[in-house]
Amino acid sequence: MPNAVIAGYARSAFAPANKGSLTRFRPDELAAEIVRALVSRTNVPAADLEDLIVGCSFPEAEQGLNVARLIGMLAGLPNTVAATTVNRFCGSSMTSIHIAAGAITAGAGEAFICAGVESMTRVPMSGFNPMPSPKLYAARPEAYISMGDTAENVAQKWQISRAAQEEFALLSHKKAAAAQRQGGFEAEIVPVTNGKTTVSHDECIRAEATAEGLAGLKPAFSKEGTVTAGTSSPLTDGAAAVLVCSEDYARRHGLDILARIKSVAVAGCAPEIMGVGPINATRKALARAGITAAELDVVELNEAFASQALACIRDLELDPAKVNLDGGASALGHPLGATGARITGKAASLLKRTGGRYALATQCIGGGQGIATVLEAV
Amino acid sequence: MSEIRKVAVIGAGVMGASIAAHCANAGADVLLLDIVKPGAENRNAIAEGAIERLRKMDPAPLMGSRAIKLIKPGNIEDDLDALKTADWIVEAVIERVDIKQDLYRKLATVLKPGAVVSSNTSTIPLAELMAGVDAAFAEKFCITHFFNPPRYMRLLEIVGGAAPEFAALRHFIDHRLGKSIVDCNDTPGFIANRIGTYWIQCAMVLALELGLEVEEADAVMGKPIGFPSTGVFGLMDLVGLDLAPHVNASLARLLPASDAFHTMNRETELLTKMISEGFTGLKGKGGFYRSARGADGKRQKSALNLQSARGGTLEWRPAVKPELDDVKSARKDLKKLLTAGNKYGKYAWGVLGRVLAYTASLIPEIGEHIADVDTAMRLGYTWKFGPFELIDRLGADWVASHLAELGLEVPPILAKLGAGKFYRPGATGALEQFGLDGEYHAIATAPGILRLDDIKRVSKPLAGNKSASVWDLGDGVLCFEMHAEARGVVRNMLDGDVLGILEKALALTGASHKALVIYNDDPREQPQKVSFSQGANIGMVALTANIRLWGKLESGMKDGQKLYQSMRYAPFPVVGAPVGLALGGGCEMLLHCAAVQAYAESYIGLVEAGVGLVPGWGGCASMLARWQGDKQAPKGPMPAVAKVFETISTAQVSRSAAQAMEMKFLNPTDGITMNRDRLLADAKARALELAMDYKAPEPPTLRLPGASGRVALKMAVDAMAARGLATPHDITVSAALAEVLTGGDAEWIDPLTEHDVMALERKSFLALIKTKESQARLKSIIDTGKPLRN
Repeated sequence: MPNAVIAGYARSAFAPANKGSLTRFRPDELAAEIVRALVSRTNVPAADLEDLIVGCSFPEAEQGLNVARLIGMLAGLPNTVAATTVNRFCGSSMTSIHIAAGAITAGAGEAFICAGVESMTRVPMSGFNPMPSPKLYAARPEAYISMGDTAENVAQKWQISRAAQEEFALLSHKKAAAAQRQGGFEAEIVPVTNGKTTVSHDECIRAEATAEGLAGLKPAFSKEGTVTAGTSSPLTDGAAAVLVCSEDYARRHGLDILARIKSVAVAGCAPEIMGVGPINATRKALARAGITAAELDVVELNEAFASQALACIRDLELDPAKVNLDGGASALGHPLGATGARITGKAASLLKRTGGRYALATQCIGGGQGIATVLEAV
Repeated sequence: MSEIRKVAVIGAGVMGASIAAHCANAGADVLLLDIVKPGAENRNAIAEGAIERLRKMDPAPLMGSRAIKLIKPGNIEDDLDALKTADWIVEAVIERVDIKQDLYRKLATVLKPGAVVSSNTSTIPLAELMAGVDAAFAEKFCITHFFNPPRYMRLLEIVGGAAPEFAALRHFIDHRLGKSIVDCNDTPGFIANRIGTYWIQCAMVLALELGLEVEEADAVMGKPIGFPSTGVFGLMDLVGLDLAPHVNASLARLLPASDAFHTMNRETELLTKMISEGFTGLKGKGGFYRSARGADGKRQKSALNLQSARGGTLEWRPAVKPELDDVKSARKDLKKLLTAGNKYGKYAWGVLGRVLAYTASLIPEIGEHIADVDTAMRLGYTWKFGPFELIDRLGADWVASHLAELGLEVPPILAKLGAGKFYRPGATGALEQFGLDGEYHAIATAPGILRLDDIKRVSKPLAGNKSASVWDLGDGVLCFEMHAEARGVVRNMLDGDVLGILEKALALTGASHKALVIYNDDPREQPQKVSFSQGANIGMVALTANIRLWGKLESGMKDGQKLYQSMRYAPFPVVGAPVGLALGGGCEMLLHCAAVQAYAESYIGLVEAGVGLVPGWGGCASMLARWQGDKQAPKGPMPAVAKVFETISTAQVSRSAAQAMEMKFLNPTDGITMNRDRLLADAKARALELAMDYKAPEPPTLRLPGASGRVALKMAVDAMAARGLATPHDITVSAALAEVLTGGDAEWIDPLTEHDVMALERKSFLALIKTKESQARLKSIIDTGKPLRN
């Protein structure tokens, strides 16, 4: 069966929702700029693309209709390239990659763009018209539990102290700030322009963050809780995209292969502790790859909240020194639909940069799920 | 006459920035310039910092969220060219003639034809500012003296500026900035500060010399006389002690040796010492009063020991509330306080007698017209009564006969008046003022000002009782005026008395008139103390609930809903014209008007949740219709519901009419009047305009999300409660409100009428009032005026 590889990765800078420089960028147009840049940077012949698969958590308003098709048109892709929009909340654009990998393996196409986008400024979390089912809410209120409450639940159940969460978040900012200083994001960020504004730098990173500053914040979700705005990923605007194609196609066209997709998995869990979704998903993916966590050289673990990231590191016995080398979502931000493409593309890039053999990209998903991808150096 | 569209303010200190903010409130484009800070990378840093501070200042200098976007920062070195587009340049830089004149020379090179320049100086005479300045520039220059804070203080003193070139500026100041212009002679301190400084100086000196403590002095020299309730020491803390020496020094330098100011300009060592140690008032480490958290975490107020301070030792002791019998009785009989032989009486008359005599002696030096002087003190120093109005209240002959006790001569105008009054009603009802020539003269009033008080002096109400009246404004327009007192204050709480007259007003208008205006104001009070209406009479509601007359409560709600509906669908327009607070049922009254013409300082909100209830007279239905009708808002059943839920469940009250429009308590087509004196005339004009071709509105249809929406709202409230931001009874009240706003059992595909929603209002209201928690909230407001958070 054909192998699927990642042969390109690009993203926009990530900026805080409602106050950052991307607030006035429409998400469809933002994503289109990233897709256009990815095609141009990788030199993939656009006509060869089978499908544009776009992840988005709240596909309505400017993210509505079949936004993937509209992004394809805005990006100037030929009409022959199909397009579909995928929603698995935070796991949306990693799911895009899984769909492409599956199609390649099944012989249903050779080259795919797997993208993700979220403007948390322009389409609020829960959308404009949240209308939960009264029946489900009565039977299982946890179906609609807020993400902050799940972070508190995980902190409590896994006994993760506020201090540990803050130490983790602070380190994430320091790693991201160092990477930014050293130009570690330059290769992946596509500058985007809207009128007079050009955005080319991540804006959520706080290089000046301090332990004292974090310790002074009020709990964000529960009066007695341990989770603060400082240990939660910020609401973020951004877009990301990766080129997924068969290994054979990549070699034929001389594309720069970043990594091979070794295995994938999704797994459900209890909604009220959705943050530990990566544990089972990762275990399944590692088993399918036939490796252990100890063999991983690079881990991109989405930091929706510091508490859930720490719980996953502990239970999966991950080496903290290999997790999120250039910082995670605590510092970079978490535009829901775009994060999966970012961390998978980033894991592939880091595998190449560090010369390691195996990488893992994994994330938790609202509603109680995890998703994981194991990558292998080529 | 050209129009003022673009204003430039030079000097981004507190006054300059606040003037810029208020010009933006008026809708003008504003350029705010200051100097370039030496060595600064950002050359606009000072002006940018000042604009940023405007967002945080309290009281807020900005009215709505749009105003700040109209203010552009800059600096006087790079942006001189930008001044070429300004119609009015306001100079608000440091009070130094050399610096100001240097600036004027620069301005002269960029001033566009037709544009004018003014200074906000409070201490430098026009003649000094213009000495040696090019004559062509001087012709375009005047003094515009704002009072702090410029958004709230209604006085603007103008010195010069009488020529036709200033017509556009005067129009802008009056109509757009909403200020009352008092033309002043070019004399030191102009009018308000000349008298006000003397007043403060007398009050401070005599308190020290008669041995009063600060709380005692403030209790006497405040409310009983109609002076600000802070008293003089509290007032100095508020405005800043450090300003006084500058103003005093300037008056001391400029006033002739014979002026009475010099004799009272003593005891200044105390202020000097306090300022040098940083006790400059609220903006510093505290002043005559200080406030700090005690060991128990509660704020504790302390007061300066005035007598030891006089001896050079600054020490503060816990503040006390003085119980002075003479002060208590002064509301009914001020003379009793003034003639009490004790130190309080000596203090009260010592200060007041001197101030009244001094003021009377300054006619015509500072201004020819006594009405201008009274206006200046009312609007510039928030005195309830101007000095001549005070003399009328006491009796001119009484005042004259008691001046000898203070060793003062009777000023000529007072002598001439004898036992008469400074003011008397003229034939049209408008007041006339006494002049030095011994004659009464009309008080000059700008065109377009209509005063209900003038109408009331010469006519009888068409209907009325102790709580409300109907007046004829002429031209086919009636006025429904509320004047219902509760606990000695006009609160216009709505009950059968008030609403019965409203019903009559509607009937009278329908029978024989074109339109109805709803208006009431007490121009002597600050707008935040004026009630258009504080809503339903909750005392009555609580009483009815106590005796469990639920049927009576329900029929009362139905009657109210019916009355407001008849107002909305009347075949003639009803125009609401609020000043100050329009809360609960008062807000709902406005929501049912064909149009609202609101005074800029209107504070509007549906606050029922604070007393554990929901709006019950169509407020919920009206707000839903407004938000669902907003074409800009996201589509679907939830956005309007969520917005109205947030506004009502947290009992939000607008902090201006502009903000009320953003919250949709006012419609975009409603009007805002910046000048309080013009509100009634504007409302009447609006009513006549609507009456020309009037059709009652079409009833709205509402699409509401039903139970699904309720779950979404419940989750939001639960999240608030988890964060400690909602109390247990907040959750109950929110649920009852959600029931109304989501349409009960509605399916969002089925349209509802406002009557469906009003039925839900009644249901939720009655469910809540039966809870002991809502009854406890009502009791707390009624007994203490403070909300209970249970």
